[in-house]
Amino acid sequence: MKKRSRFPFYVTVAILVFFYLPIIIVFMQSFNASRFGGAWKGFTLQWYYRLFADKNIWHALSNTLVIAFGSTFVSIILGTMAAFALYRYKTKLQITHNILIYLPLVIPDILMGISLLLFFVSLRIELSLFTILLSHITFCMSYVAMVVLARFQDFDYSTFEAALDLGATWWIAVKRVLVPYLGPGIAAGGLLAFTLSLDDFVITFFVAGPDSTTLPLYIYSMMRHGSPSVINALSVLMVIFTFIVVFISKKLMEVKE
Amino acid sequence: MKKLLTFFAAALMAFVSCSKKSNELHIYNWADYMNPAVIEKFEKEYNCKVVINYFDSNEALYAKLKAGATGYDVLFPTSYMSRLMYEQKMIREIDHSKLKNIKNIDMAFVKKGLDPQMRYSVPYMMTFTGIAYNKKKVKNFKPSWSIFERDDLAGRMTLLNDMREVIGAALKYNGYNYNSTNDAELEKAFETVIKWKKNIAKFDVDEAKRGLSSGEFYLIQVYNGDALQLIAENPDLAFATPQEGTALSQDDFVIPVTAKNVELAYKFIDFMLEPENCKANMEFVYYLAPNIAAQKLMSEDFLKDPAVNPPKSILDKSEFLQDLGSNNSKFSALWDKIKSTK
Amino acid sequence: MSAEVLRKRKGEILISIPPILWLVIFFVIPTFLVIAMAFRSADPYGGIGQEWTLDTIKSLGNPDYPVIIWRTIWLSVLSTAVCILASIPAGYYIARLNKKYQDILLLFIIVPFWINFLIRIFAWKVFLHPEGFFKEALVALKIAAPDTLLLYNTGAVLVVIVYSYLPFALLPIYAAAEKFNFHLLEAAYDLGAGRLQAFVRVFLPGIKQGIITAIVVVFIPALGSYVIPDIVGGTQAEMIGNKIAQRTFIDRNLPHASALSTILALAIIIPSAVALTMRFFKEKNSTSLRLR
Repeated sequence: MKKRSRFPFYVTVAILVFFYLPIIIVFMQSFNASRFGGAWKGFTLQWYYRLFADKNIWHALSNTLVIAFGSTFVSIILGTMAAFALYRYKTKLQITHNILIYLPLVIPDILMGISLLLFFVSLRIELSLFTILLSHITFCMSYVAMVVLARFQDFDYSTFEAALDLGATWWIAVKRVLVPYLGPGIAAGGLLAFTLSLDDFVITFFVAGPDSTTLPLYIYSMMRHGSPSVINALSVLMVIFTFIVVFISKKLMEVKE
Repeated sequence: MKKLLTFFAAALMAFVSCSKKSNELHIYNWADYMNPAVIEKFEKEYNCKVVINYFDSNEALYAKLKAGATGYDVLFPTSYMSRLMYEQKMIREIDHSKLKNIKNIDMAFVKKGLDPQMRYSVPYMMTFTGIAYNKKKVKNFKPSWSIFERDDLAGRMTLLNDMREVIGAALKYNGYNYNSTNDAELEKAFETVIKWKKNIAKFDVDEAKRGLSSGEFYLIQVYNGDALQLIAENPDLAFATPQEGTALSQDDFVIPVTAKNVELAYKFIDFMLEPENCKANMEFVYYLAPNIAAQKLMSEDFLKDPAVNPPKSILDKSEFLQDLGSNNSKFSALWDKIKSTK
Repeated sequence: MSAEVLRKRKGEILISIPPILWLVIFFVIPTFLVIAMAFRSADPYGGIGQEWTLDTIKSLGNPDYPVIIWRTIWLSVLSTAVCILASIPAGYYIARLNKKYQDILLLFIIVPFWINFLIRIFAWKVFLHPEGFFKEALVALKIAAPDTLLLYNTGAVLVVIVYSYLPFALLPIYAAAEKFNFHLLEAAYDLGAGRLQAFVRVFLPGIKQGIITAIVVVFIPALGSYVIPDIVGGTQAEMIGNKIAQRTFIDRNLPHASALSTILALAIIIPSAVALTMRFFKEKNSTSLRLR
């Protein structure tokens, strides 16, 4: 047997360093007393105080969460329906359906943003949290559909038909057989939709109205017009939060297995 | 599962119900352009919430509204843009009877402007453009637009991300008018901007200010009051007005046609015209408000500061930006060419 | 047609209509609106002309665009190439670790991609700051001169695009490598193949599907980049996305923005639609999951 090359190991280490170096610098800068970043001017916690004192952030965060929950909920329903149809039927309608579901995944955000903006404006729909919600559902449902469809691939449809044959109504069969089986897939798809909605900046930027500042929009506005040091502090909190969430969900998965 | 559904349904309901709040005022402003303490005072006095969004050029403001943004109650365009928006029927006529403090406005100043009767706009602040720089890093500073040709500062300078300001400065540098639409003159200005572009890091408005303060940039094209705000925090910085002359601007309060809370908008404008509040704003933003009653409250030093109140020698060489009508597209075409030329 | 088939047909329609209708309203119609808008003219005041015209499309031929289109393409190709070239050895390495270490490493790779997109870009702005720690370290190590600039150039844009999309490339390649039967490599060695030869002739074809997915998920969003060049790019790093945003948010020229968008959209939609149609019936058992 040949000795394995060390090269892949080095590349992996380099990637991890590349991933974390900027994040570490942001951590350090969040304690830097210098108002605009740059050279070290001493330790401070004032950016964290400022962050917690800024009520606009919390307003933006609540907007973001409302949209994330709303779009996750609707996109789970629509996405699961789409996945079921794509799995169950192999007709010409489903070819079109398949393309329709896939395209939002491959289309760059900026195109989706501008097309939805034109759409809402030409219908004279006022830009607001509601237009953001509609837009988020549109791109989230495709992700849900894809994840649930992946789960469907191993599903044996005859169990479903067996339930029907044994006298279950269609709805009971869905509830007792399909939903429990698809549960993990729906949960995974929903989680993906939720995070995508939380994270989206570009599409939201196009379809947002004056009172619909979401957290990413607020971060962008702070980056451009506000104090970068406060964003450092916010970034640190968000990174820590992300670590905790990913860690917990990982633990939960392990328990299930 | 059922609980989850109920939860989602409740969240949606909450979403629908809370998205409409009656006592909110939406203003769309330049960044760092109003004292937050004054806004807080207004919120307390009128028991309302002021929501602020920011823009960084008049063109961006206009495009945002044209693209369908509605719901702003007060905007702060520069007078040439107010005029265009008025002609485009995007803003309302001002009802003077609702503004008891409008008597504080310096009418001598307003008469020289684009809206001498204040039919659709009320002036907020007077601004002009200049150069802010770091005294420690920029040796042999000369107050001239030609400073952007200096390649020892390459990569450490910025120009505003604003076609009227940048092309205008180049026109002025070549001895022409800021509002020129003459093709030959514009061509000359184009060549000048391209020379400058080689030395600048980027076209930017607000990030450039932070960058100057943090040592990222050494010299930036900037509005006077913004520069003074930076200098107040960092004594290494200085501001100068180019000897060739510069662009003067008057920024206005205007109320868009689509405003939802017009009454509150009037109250807001009137509140900001009160001498005390206007003074607090001037002290925060370092711009001069054409408000006689408020100016009386200001220190002599402030009023005499050439970076606040430009001396006659500079005023004589400078111009107010005008709306160019259909010739605007000449500027946008040129701006495009500038952005894509190496 | 039998009653059974009819019933099935009815079920299909019932379940397909809501998602299809939603996508038609909020995706197909808006996309066609953009395409239609590309054939309108714009007046200097931001209004949209009533008559149909080819002028807007024709104006795309103006000599300023090829520069930006070309830059968008080469930046996207280069960043995709870097992502793939880095992901293949890393995916190989992780897939060969034992399960426990695999999970830990994966966690560390996934976390940065869950961090808010803007924050990741902002981190680079802080990181490359000319007075920051990294720059000082480079100067101390004599790698950079004191006046070297790390930000506001195409290099910075490239690095940040790679940073943003590398996890998206790494995950599908790792997923494919994990399913790869590494005994095949041993077999290739036994048959006399060199290490590199075995890697190229056996391993790469084995993870082909993962590589293709990785290319798609990096290249397409890279083509549409707008925020990254906006924040870390300087005067020479504009991409098509920036032009579209500029036309929309500054120049009040929606027809022009639409014309640019149409080109970008068609370049992506047509090949995707063809590929998807071809794949639809072929691939019933694939569990591959596309991530953006």
